[in-house]
Amino acid sequence: MKKLFLSAAGLLSLATVFALTLPLNWEIADKYSISFSTNGVSGIFKTFSGGIVFDEKNPAASKFDVTIDVNSINTGNGMQNKHAKGNDWFDAAKHPSIRYVSKKIVKTASGYQSTGDLTMHGITKETTIPFTFSQSGNGGTFSGSFQVNRNDFQIGKPGGSVGDVIKLSVNVPVIKK
Amino acid sequence: MFKRSLLLGVVSGILAGLVSLAYQKVYASSLGYDFSEIVKPYNILATCVFAGIAAAVGFWALTSWLKGRGEIVFNFLLVILTFATILGPFAMKLPLEIEAPELFPGMVVPMHFFPALAWFTLKPLFFKPPQQQKVFA
Repeated sequence: MKKLFLSAAGLLSLATVFALTLPLNWEIADKYSISFSTNGVSGIFKTFSGGIVFDEKNPAASKFDVTIDVNSINTGNGMQNKHAKGNDWFDAAKHPSIRYVSKKIVKTASGYQSTGDLTMHGITKETTIPFTFSQSGNGGTFSGSFQVNRNDFQIGKPGGSVGDVIKLSVNVPVIKK
Repeated sequence: MFKRSLLLGVVSGILAGLVSLAYQKVYASSLGYDFSEIVKPYNILATCVFAGIAAAVGFWALTSWLKGRGEIVFNFLLVILTFATILGPFAMKLPLEIEAPELFPGMVVPMHFFPALAWFTLKPLFFKPPQQQKVFA
């Protein structure tokens, strides 16, 4: 009887420790916004999905693996949308998604910073994304903005009427899984 | 002359506006995309009437200035301007909440032709057609 009690207590302790150290999984909620802007063009990506593991107390154990559907681009202009998905730009037929996989997440003075691999147009570059996280109850919101140079990913031709440096703003509400 | 031209402009504008509204309804029901938040029915009607009045002023001015050749020049100008205006919907940037902006020109471009079509259709009712010249005697 004593052995059984000790085993149960041990298991409970282990489970508690495990639960406390287990990183938090978050589900992407509706009404997220992935927007981009540069000289001459701006718009949004309507479809965004992926896995988010994030713990404010343990950012080192956190991880983002998220994907944007290139075909969901919307600039507000049909011709621009078609052009953006075409061979000269994102080439959505060959490269239908943009993927970001974090490698390291650290706390900074103003929030957090994620360093990871951003893959666009079949080219992967290490990219750092500063972001904030505000938790409220069972949910929270990730917000961040960063810049990428489209020439690094061979998207479009350098110069022209569309700016080389594109500002991306991300606002993702999440719910605890 | 000016009054009759103006009356033709207003009536053809109203006709073009009504046809445009009917076309908007048909387009929305057949394709499932309603752009009435972008182009409001009142604006469609007002724009068509404005186009009709502008055409009336242009017609009167050109026929007064160029006499016999005024109508030919006016017809050419009306068609050229009508074609030129269709660039507008293709270049227009819609609010990002609109799901399928590529379907927008399909709705608006035909509307750009309705004022000219209404003008050419109704003109013989307001102005007596010129006497036909006998080509073959």
